[in-house]
Amino acid sequence: MAVGVASNVDFCTAIMERRTVSAWTEDSGDAALAEAARDGDRGAFGLLYDRYARMVHGVLLARVPFSAVDDLVQDVFLQALGRLRSLRDTACFGAWIAAIARNRAHDYHRRSRNDVELTDDILGDEQTGGGSSKPLRLASAPAPDAEAAAALAAIRSLPEAYRETLILRLVEGMTGPEIAARTGLTTGSVRVNMHRGMQKLREKLGSGVRG
Amino acid sequence: MDRKENSKYLWDGSGEPDPEIQRLESVLGKLAYSGARPGFPDIVPAAPWWSVLPFGWPMRLAAVSAVMAVAALVAVWFVIHRSKQNPAPSGSTASEWQVARLAGAPRVGNTAIENQGGLGPGQTLVTDNRSRAEITADEVGEIEVDPDTRLRLVPSRGERKRLALDRGVIHAFIWSPPGEFMVDTPSATAVDMGCAYTLQVDDSGAGLLRTTLGWVGFRLDGHDAFIPAGAVCATRPGIGPGTPCFEDASPALRAALTAFDFGPADQRAPALDTILAQARKRDALTLWHLLARVDANDRGRVYDRLAKLVPPPHAVTRDGILRLDPTMLDLWWNELGLGDVSLWRTFERSWSESDSQSRGKAR
Repeated sequence: MAVGVASNVDFCTAIMERRTVSAWTEDSGDAALAEAARDGDRGAFGLLYDRYARMVHGVLLARVPFSAVDDLVQDVFLQALGRLRSLRDTACFGAWIAAIARNRAHDYHRRSRNDVELTDDILGDEQTGGGSSKPLRLASAPAPDAEAAAALAAIRSLPEAYRETLILRLVEGMTGPEIAARTGLTTGSVRVNMHRGMQKLREKLGSGVRG
Repeated sequence: MDRKENSKYLWDGSGEPDPEIQRLESVLGKLAYSGARPGFPDIVPAAPWWSVLPFGWPMRLAAVSAVMAVAALVAVWFVIHRSKQNPAPSGSTASEWQVARLAGAPRVGNTAIENQGGLGPGQTLVTDNRSRAEITADEVGEIEVDPDTRLRLVPSRGERKRLALDRGVIHAFIWSPPGEFMVDTPSATAVDMGCAYTLQVDDSGAGLLRTTLGWVGFRLDGHDAFIPAGAVCATRPGIGPGTPCFEDASPALRAALTAFDFGPADQRAPALDTILAQARKRDALTLWHLLARVDANDRGRVYDRLAKLVPPPHAVTRDGILRLDPTMLDLWWNELGLGDVSLWRTFERSWSESDSQSRGKAR
């Protein structure tokens, strides 16, 4: 019996160690990480956070004011943490958390009762470009924030699908294949959205160059 | 710069850099995510129920085995019993929607939903004249189901992404990516393009779709209608989607549109006269759809009126529109400022495949 008890103790210790000392690496798959997180492994969830924070940030930035995005990123992951048990296919973690982020952005507008137009504390009135039909141009040497705001406003005036893809590419620095892998969209959809969106953006920015 | 090289740089950063994209990356990169991983609260995994048993491992194991054996017997009985009452198609991999009762006693199959329940592939949610429900799928959206409604989850390859509204009213708020979620009605399929909308179907199978946010496509056998926020579109069995119009269009235009879409053939010409006379700039939505719906002899009149309201882009010619050149029609649509039709075209092929598969399974 003593052997049996020792085995049980070893077994329990092993389980506890697995929960407290994550052996996960950058190469670990989403499904394994999500399953481990669901079993209580905070380290695994942390890796998922590292992997998906940029994508969630970009999805939100396409829809809500810049000043609100950082807080909402945390909200989205906390919401995901609380709902991990409802994620049926752990391999779909990316598409799932992207959906939570889009929903959180909708919710932000519903709660603020302001779904008319995005405004931003980093945007100057003359740079929002929101209903203007004039082509927007990047200023020659303005303050960095104002220049970024003008470019962001131009992207935000595009249709939603283009907006999200372009922000993930140009703001978050993700490549097309990475966007497809992280958001769960097909490579074809991302490619179409990215190229057509870029074409529209060039028109908005008053450029003659075509992508 | 070589167009292909330029395109490669945009796609994955390889190839010859595009100076304009580099400039945007440099400017916009300042807004990128730069936070650090926060401290997350402890994740409390579901405690295994057997951990509460007050005795040691051997006894626990025996108790667990006994309980599992009983549970397995109960489950087998339940599956057999349930499949007789409310059969779910075999081979489906789709998961359930969560169902919450909002009022009365909504049912899934023969089972009344007391508070929470599930709607599986092939199952039907039914509300009577006093009950309401809400169904939710994390990766799709949430839908409120009004009284006197029958709503089915259609087994499909795109799990939980296709419902069928046989009768009644639903209010859908969808956050699934555009083009993935569809609702079949007896006379058309509503394709979500990122939006909120209300869809109703009466006992004859006639339907009405009202978009409140984003836009929705309504289609039957390649016959399409694009319905942006603020617009409505009716549909009739055997005919399919009518012509969409904005809800604030004049009553005369809306009445004429109903006569044009669904009335006797001899009413179409006078109805078209009224529509053209009543159309405002905003009603370009309606006129664009009419281009493909009027007789060839009337198309020139519709072209002329629409061109006055929203001039066609350079690449669009009168001749091209009169012969319904699809590229020119799409270019003109994009000029209306109601969304980019290319998104719709992108997903069309996969919808067609999905259509044929789900119809085969639904029958």
